[in-house]
Amino acid sequence: MLSSVQNPRFLLIQCRRSKPFHHHQYPKSIHAISQVQSVSTSLPTSEIQKIQKSILSREKTARQFAEQFLNRLRLTEPYVKSFLHVSKTVLNEADEIDRKIDRNEDVGPLAGVLVAVKDNICTADMPSTAGSKILENYRPPFDATAVRKLKEGGAIIVGKTNLDEFGMGSTTEGSAYQVTANPWNLECVPGGSSGGSAAAVSARQCVVSLGSDTGGSVRQPASFCGVVGLKPTYGRVSRYGLVAYASSLDVIGCFGSSVADAGILLQSICGHDKLDATSSKREVNDFTSQFVAKDYFESQPLKGLRVGVISETLGDGVDQEVVSSIRGAISHLEELGCTVTEVSLPSFSLGLPAYYVLASSESSSNLSRYDGIRYGNQIVSDELSSLYGGSRANGFGPEVKRRILMGTYALSAGYYDAYYKRAQQVRTVVQKSFKAALDEHDILISPAAPSAAYKIGEKKNDPLAMYAGDIMTVNVNLAGLPALVLPCGFVKNGTASLPVGFQMIGAAFDEEKLLRVGHIFEQTLEGCSFIPPLIADELFKC
Amino acid sequence: MGSRALLLLAPATLAERFLVNHFPKYGFQQAFKRKEEMLRVGVRNYSVHSSLERPNVPRLAETARISLTAQEAEEFAPKIQQVVDWFGQLQDVDLQSIEPAIRADTEAGSFREDSPETFDKREAMIAAVPSYEEPYIKVPKVLNKD
Repeated sequence: MLSSVQNPRFLLIQCRRSKPFHHHQYPKSIHAISQVQSVSTSLPTSEIQKIQKSILSREKTARQFAEQFLNRLRLTEPYVKSFLHVSKTVLNEADEIDRKIDRNEDVGPLAGVLVAVKDNICTADMPSTAGSKILENYRPPFDATAVRKLKEGGAIIVGKTNLDEFGMGSTTEGSAYQVTANPWNLECVPGGSSGGSAAAVSARQCVVSLGSDTGGSVRQPASFCGVVGLKPTYGRVSRYGLVAYASSLDVIGCFGSSVADAGILLQSICGHDKLDATSSKREVNDFTSQFVAKDYFESQPLKGLRVGVISETLGDGVDQEVVSSIRGAISHLEELGCTVTEVSLPSFSLGLPAYYVLASSESSSNLSRYDGIRYGNQIVSDELSSLYGGSRANGFGPEVKRRILMGTYALSAGYYDAYYKRAQQVRTVVQKSFKAALDEHDILISPAAPSAAYKIGEKKNDPLAMYAGDIMTVNVNLAGLPALVLPCGFVKNGTASLPVGFQMIGAAFDEEKLLRVGHIFEQTLEGCSFIPPLIADELFKC
Repeated sequence: MGSRALLLLAPATLAERFLVNHFPKYGFQQAFKRKEEMLRVGVRNYSVHSSLERPNVPRLAETARISLTAQEAEEFAPKIQQVVDWFGQLQDVDLQSIEPAIRADTEAGSFREDSPETFDKREAMIAAVPSYEEPYIKVPKVLNKD
């Protein structure tokens, strides 16, 4: 039923004939701006809004968009390998949306939008493995609340993406199934643990995607893959249906190729859920109406915004080129009217060991449910405790086993006070220092990672080196704050380039401000195109 | 990159001043040049915490119900030891009178009504069970090892 894979050159020729204007860069020519002005309230680079407008006005069908993305997915998948499962019903669902539109029925704000979902988020009609062999072929009997909301909004779930097993890792090499490559350089990692979701959006295999962020697993891959990554406040999005790794830290996050897309996606999945006792009852504002076209911006649209740069994040151990990209972002923010000052968070580097103590400990408890009895892979045994031991040994990968063992150690009698309790105390210190900094500043910024994407295999045998890369992101999880990562520059990688993202941290539940600043920053950033060369030739909106 | 990143693992000295914010008159670029003089990141020797027993990997594996092979136990031990030593930094910090936080203080937390509901996808749930004999989930016998 899926249309056959077209020869890429044929695709290129066909589309060039039908549409002269293509979005290779953010619009900066006069021609482009007048195009934008003619559709006055439209969002210039929001894929979601473009698709919606197009299908509702019957300019294109949902099926045409779906075919376009599926073709690109099939062309790039052998190289990128972001997906563990691809839905077989994408075109049927697209047809159904077209039929509804023909009947003038309501279709929802995400109708026609292809969304990929990280494989640790439960989907009833597709396997959910959490990247682990212990859940091979597992079909949950329910959809995660976030997935249910996506479906209610009319989204088409295109597939489940690859991840580090159970979310444990920063490269996606920890998956029990396959290694995902970075679309910017296929020899480099896409980041982790939501590497598949980031790569899928980066390679434009789908419009937006869901990931999860426990210690940076949405923000770091967003930086590595040159896409926007949004981590909401803890409690903003229901965790029901998210395979638990560290329950006090996990959140579901959003990827998009623009800030507006990530924001629209977040809007559709957030809100209180009675099935998640940690979900917040706070009102959700409409954050999407602020994504206006840039010709509506004032001359210094961010005047009065107080930005604090975390000084500990630009010192030793951070790549020089990353630091220059961040300084570039800072200059851009100053041009937009921000007041940028330095802020020191002295407890900053202590957050990393505290995070790993908490995450390993909580994961050792959360993963005790994988006993091979009620679901998952089970080995043959004639005795119960070796059934447990064997199923778990067989099903878990080495990083998962190590973290469970470290967590078991940290929680053992006699060690609880030395490790777990102290880590909890550090959490309090980190929360207080962020609160104090955010009393004096509207947002705080830092790099999203100390380097750009590194080569596949480089950190595989050195856990501590891999953990070190999380320094920029873990404190935000400890404090439960929202953060937005967007691409701001590049580092040289041989003859090519790798993208670099910067992180903006806001006060609890202040996603609206983060998205507003991010949107303005992105729309006014000229001369930067974050489309990986792998797909640049084929990327145009028909 | 790896060795440079390891510098980030060393803790900053927990100074009394929590906010260094005295550069309002200068542009950020000028302030940045002075940064190196203002901040110091200490480097530590991690293997100092002998008061706590080292992780006994086979014992931990038994507690966690994971049957490790002898080879795995041997491979994991140094890596686990390395990380646990690194955790030792937490002992050096003065955390007296600081309340432990069990989660982010983002006012999450609410209970739903205490009213039972029947789960409507029983069949799907049962279909996932590896070894089922209506109405029981089958498990092998339990041997008392103690």
